[in-house]
Amino acid sequence: MKKREFLSLLLTLLGLTAAGSFAYPLVRFLAPPGGKAKLKQITFKKSEIPVGEAKEIPFGGVPAIIINRPGKGFIAFSRVCSHLGCLIDYNKAQNRIICPCHAAIFDLEGNVVSGPPPKPLQKFPLKVEGESILIG
Amino acid sequence: MWVRIRNWLEIRIGLEELIRAQLTEYRVPRNINITYTFGFVALFAFLIQVITGFFLLMYYVPYSEMAFRSIQDIMTTVPYGWLFRQIHVVGSNLMVVMILLHTLSVFFMGGYKKPRELTWVLGTLMLLVTVTFCVSGYLLPWSQLSYWATTIATMIPTAFPIVGDLISELMKGSEQVSGITLNRFFAIHVMLLPLIIAVLLGLHLFLVRRIGISSPPFGKSGEAERPWTEYRHDSHGEGYPFFPDFVLKEMIMVMFACAVMFFLISFLPTLLLPEEANIPADPFKTPAHIKPEWYLLAPYQMLKIIPNKFLGISLQLIIIAVFILWPFLERKEENNILKRPRLLGFSILSLILWVVFTVWGKYS
Repeated sequence: MKKREFLSLLLTLLGLTAAGSFAYPLVRFLAPPGGKAKLKQITFKKSEIPVGEAKEIPFGGVPAIIINRPGKGFIAFSRVCSHLGCLIDYNKAQNRIICPCHAAIFDLEGNVVSGPPPKPLQKFPLKVEGESILIG
Repeated sequence: MWVRIRNWLEIRIGLEELIRAQLTEYRVPRNINITYTFGFVALFAFLIQVITGFFLLMYYVPYSEMAFRSIQDIMTTVPYGWLFRQIHVVGSNLMVVMILLHTLSVFFMGGYKKPRELTWVLGTLMLLVTVTFCVSGYLLPWSQLSYWATTIATMIPTAFPIVGDLISELMKGSEQVSGITLNRFFAIHVMLLPLIIAVLLGLHLFLVRRIGISSPPFGKSGEAERPWTEYRHDSHGEGYPFFPDFVLKEMIMVMFACAVMFFLISFLPTLLLPEEANIPADPFKTPAHIKPEWYLLAPYQMLKIIPNKFLGISLQLIIIAVFILWPFLERKEENNILKRPRLLGFSILSLILWVVFTVWGKYS
């Protein structure tokens, strides 16, 4: 290897090391400091959500909705639309879940009925124990 | 790939001609010395301030109830926030040091003389803007140090009769330093001053390029001295190429400046952030020994020993005016200061006085 090539290689390595030394702190600095909030369990009384009604709650930092479906029982979803992140609403009259931003429609299982979302709504684990509903 | 990108740019912007004219065929005098790199290091320090300032803005909250807390979060919670803030704090001092050294270098090399008077004026204005940057940025952490240093700074205009109180209140936006002052200083620090310094810097660099770098009065420049009776570009045909020769020298100085900066950050982290910088602002309690930053210690001490406040401030304004307008006051053509013993003596005496006042201010 010629002296000039060796020096160029050395300079490149030093430059990359210096750039790397700054890139790592910068990426860490720009990353959200708190990280994702941990999901905790939440308990409700069944009587709080009558049949055909829904309750909107924050769950682990995410807006969530619990729906008491006629004849099918309780189900919990993230309210964040799987398309572009707007918050979905439960439409009691149509018995559907609707996203106001791009008119996406989901059924009460969270599956896409129509509109642009690429996947169903995120479901949260839900258990009914006696008179209580346990989410998470 | 690289060749294709080069060709693409060559066709569209004449890259080769641009590199030739602005870098390789742009020449610096043969007898140029290392002090001519200080301006570039100052520019580098300014770029560091812009970059780190931008990142700090992502977490800083410019509201008096939350400013101190947000700075504490940057220092303790945000990953590597301490690093970016320390670089910003040390970088601001580096910028002042480098502009001062650059100014001294230009002064002692006679670089302010005809036809470079405007370049000097723009440079000195940039020094003043840089100090204003530091003063306005000082309040933003909303600490005891910030609050009381700003209280003193905003009281200085009250030395002037009739308009003094009005100027002081316009600076503060209230009778005392308050949240309104913080918002004003924040707006000035991140919006107004960057615009002003960008314009001054652009004009300064334009003039340096337009006229050409001045030759030091020491050593052989390789060019015959010709009187400046009309505009011409000082091309230094016998000199070194700006790139790579001079740029390499500049990069060495940049690395040296970085080494000093990281030494201070690593081994003396409290040098520029003393105890009062970690106590939230308390408008009802002035700290015991409040002092300005090192570059303002000399004017601070001068104000202390001159019994009349108006006289003290006026004298300082006259000194600043003389400093800015120096090329128009000192018009002899001889630019070798060694052949001007009275000017040399006056300059060294002024420097010694500045150092004495600074040290006196620190320990008084």
